[in-house]
Amino acid sequence: MNFFKRQLAIVVMSTMGFIALSGYFINWTTLRNFTDKDATNFYMIIAGFAAFLGCLNLLQLHLQKIAYKKENWQYSIFTLIGFIIMIIFGFIYNGSEVDMGPHLKDDKSAFYWMYNYIYLPLASTMFALLAFFVASASYRAFRIRNFEATLLLISGVLLMLGRVPIGALIPWWVVTIMFTSIFFAIIASKILNRKVFFLSYVFSNILFIILGLLLDWSLKTPAILSIPAIQEWIMAVPATAGARAIMIGIALGIVAQSYRIMTGRERSILGD
Amino acid sequence: MVSKFKIDQIFILPFLLLVFYAFNFLHNFFVLGNELSFFTILFSCAIIEFFIRKAKNGDDIYMRPISAMQAMEEAVGRATEMGNSVLYVPGISGLDEIDTISGVIILGHIAGMTAEYEADLHVPCCVPIVMEAARESCKESYLKKGRPDLYNDSMVHYVTDDQFAYAAGVNGIMLREKPAAVFYQGKFYAESLLLAETGSSIGAIQIAGTGSSSQIPFFVTACDYVLIGEEFYAASAYLSGSPEMIGSIKGQDYVKLFCMIFILFVVIVSIFNYLNFLSIDISNIFKINIMDGLK
Repeated sequence: MNFFKRQLAIVVMSTMGFIALSGYFINWTTLRNFTDKDATNFYMIIAGFAAFLGCLNLLQLHLQKIAYKKENWQYSIFTLIGFIIMIIFGFIYNGSEVDMGPHLKDDKSAFYWMYNYIYLPLASTMFALLAFFVASASYRAFRIRNFEATLLLISGVLLMLGRVPIGALIPWWVVTIMFTSIFFAIIASKILNRKVFFLSYVFSNILFIILGLLLDWSLKTPAILSIPAIQEWIMAVPATAGARAIMIGIALGIVAQSYRIMTGRERSILGD
Repeated sequence: MVSKFKIDQIFILPFLLLVFYAFNFLHNFFVLGNELSFFTILFSCAIIEFFIRKAKNGDDIYMRPISAMQAMEEAVGRATEMGNSVLYVPGISGLDEIDTISGVIILGHIAGMTAEYEADLHVPCCVPIVMEAARESCKESYLKKGRPDLYNDSMVHYVTDDQFAYAAGVNGIMLREKPAAVFYQGKFYAESLLLAETGSSIGAIQIAGTGSSSQIPFFVTACDYVLIGEEFYAASAYLSGSPEMIGSIKGQDYVKLFCMIFILFVVIVSIFNYLNFLSIDISNIFKINIMDGLK
């Protein structure tokens, strides 16, 4: 029995792993057909049987909850009602003139009605909640606690402004004042004299605005003073660089993990 | 001398395979055009194997502490002290995704901890086949820790196959049961933030790990600890503590070092190319599509 649970499982796991990998490199149609089609079908068949087990598990769990009146058992009634109604509309009651089976895709069937008017609005509601969760998560992430959070806040604000039409309407001198303010916010702790700090801040702003007027930045705005251009640069350079670094790490992690599984060293999935 | 010979053996077969592949000695036995991919995989595996054997031979291997992994036991301990359960979410993909396999592997370790601490474990699954694998993994872990009496089949159960229905189900479990520790380990999509924000609202300690690069920022924002990128795949090796598994992580790190050197080399060559000191288009080497070779 232990042989079937351990050694045989490892042998099957390793063999299938090596076969699937070699399908990419060995020029043999039979092997490629196996890895592309047959192996996928094997998985689908096993997953199909497991789906049946899943349904049984769902029924068993909620029936038990109701039978023993466990905590929050009332919710289980709704789950079971939904489960049974969909089974009835799927297998027993049609509601349309189409045959059983194709009726699942017919808009006049009861099953389709349930799908369109109950399931889809519920799924959309859950998806819509994401907008509020994004807002609350952004609020937490943008709270200024350290240098990294400040950077995140600045880049986040620039990205948000750059992605909306109003971002393109922001004139160069507003962006100049923004940059000067950020710079002075960073060096604020170094300048102890408030008067000197304030005057430096005001004069820097005036200097940049005069420079901009002399160089005619209203007509030829430098990319660094255009919010949409800054947004594009953030997305194309630092964000892509960070994402690629993570992607390289993930790819190497997958190679190492797959190697451990294929060579039978990673046996935790079998409980070892 | 003997051990050196054994270590050198690791590279003989990959080298021969590569020679056969590159020079087409076996008359189209290999798919042509995939040489670079083949070499990269072979090279990475040989390096990893080399360090696994080194670790097996007793070489001391240092692994930097990863706070998310250290916090796992802490989180289970906290749940035990509070008398609340531990919730483990293995993602929404099937076992054909390596992330889900990694998630189930980590679940085995977490189940071992809950068995040891006598904490309640709750694993809602989105895919039935994952439920079966997760059950097997938990059962074995409880058995291994000598606490099969604490295990029951209902701790790993099926919720639904649908993404948002699953998110709603798990959120419901969180709000009703108020688990003290929540683990998100597996493949996640848009539901990641829905789950993590709900977990955050109930004040649970949250540890996430995923290979979905697009979901990492959401987890970073809402969770206490996150296993980023390769850390997620290294977690099982780290938690097992076995020298040969940790050896594979060192091997992986060396492959990463080679990648960095290679990237630097490409950048330098590209700069020279741009300045007209060289006339080699190094990017041509990388223009190999594994799928084109299969046509």
